[in-house]
Amino acid sequence: MLVGIELNNQQPQVDISNEMVRCLQRVASRRCQASFSKLFHHFAPRLRSYALKQMGNDALAMELVQETLTNVWQKAHLFDTEKGAPSTWIFTIARNIRFDMLRKQQHRKEDICADDLWPVLCEQTADAAQPELDHQVTLEQVGQLFEALPDKQKQVIEAIYIQGKSQQEVAEALGIPLGTVKSRTRLALQRLKEMLSDED
Amino acid sequence: MKIKLHPTDQQLVLFAQGLIAPAQSLIISAHVDMCAACQKRVAGLEAALTEQLLNEQSALPDMQMQNMLTEILASPVAVALPAETQYLELDGRQFALPRSLQRYAGKISGWSHMVGKLWQARVDLGIDGRADFIYMEKGGTVPEHTHRGSELTLVLDGEFSDGVGHYDTGDFIRCDSHHTHTPKTEAEEGCLVFSVLDKPLHFTSGLARLLNPFSHLFFK
Repeated sequence: MLVGIELNNQQPQVDISNEMVRCLQRVASRRCQASFSKLFHHFAPRLRSYALKQMGNDALAMELVQETLTNVWQKAHLFDTEKGAPSTWIFTIARNIRFDMLRKQQHRKEDICADDLWPVLCEQTADAAQPELDHQVTLEQVGQLFEALPDKQKQVIEAIYIQGKSQQEVAEALGIPLGTVKSRTRLALQRLKEMLSDED
Repeated sequence: MKIKLHPTDQQLVLFAQGLIAPAQSLIISAHVDMCAACQKRVAGLEAALTEQLLNEQSALPDMQMQNMLTEILASPVAVALPAETQYLELDGRQFALPRSLQRYAGKISGWSHMVGKLWQARVDLGIDGRADFIYMEKGGTVPEHTHRGSELTLVLDGEFSDGVGHYDTGDFIRCDSHHTHTPKTEAEEGCLVFSVLDKPLHFTSGLARLLNPFSHLFFK
């Protein structure tokens, strides 16, 4: 069966990828040096091969490798399994660093940096509830979806998004813990998002 | 309503590798911020590029490897704070911008009122061409023109038509010397676009042709 063959061929890669995910998580949660060392030994030669082709010079290539892996060490918490494999995340970091290195090297005067173009290493905005711009919805639609929310969620969303209160204020006004306000908000937004994607 | 106009596959493949000129990359990135479909396309391309570009290995000498690892482990952990949300302001109105353009809201050299009901704010990107936020009030029209180079336009808010098509928020439009158009908006809330030009526009009809000698001053 074709599917079976493909699965078998990919199995070692999947295993490596899962192992790398665990390493990144251990680096993120407790700065585990042994886990980082594994990531380092796996990726350094691969990054070097990419970097040599891109930079055409060993010193610059090594700088690109080191800079990329330094970011992996320092920012492992920004890796998100839902967005893709560890190798893809690390490739995109290398691509960003390459872009900024070439910019400096060529003394380009433009101000546009890799972080603007590809948000690989940007801290998530504090307000993770920021609505996505991809879906332009009419107020009417939002109104209908809002009405469909459970009462408790509706109450919280209304206070925050319509009356403009902070989560702390809502917690005090309703006499419930801040954590509950946060989880209700998150659940409600998640639900709205699901309802919106169902409409596609 | 869904976004209808997107960058081509070719553009996105080059974008995902970092091989497109910075200003053009910026407007593509802004579109991707607004478009879930293109976010998926880019993520897919990045995964495919990883397979292709991180496939081969080139071993490092042991000494160098060990030194690099030691240096990295000794490096301090960076603490970055999320950027504050910036809005673009015009005439008391605030426009939310896609993530990639946020940093540029504060880098405009002020809004200038142009012909008709048009407002323009140049963004200093230090590029050879030019990048602008352009706001058309309801009934506002850009005189008919064509392009010597290429013009990329992203609709940030509202909608407009140009005699060729109708464009809505999030649409990504590419025009070159084959296109002659007259952008205008009838939307109540007007229309805000971000535009990147590599060469001056060329006005093609009526009195507006008189603008050509000066088009570098206006629209470049």
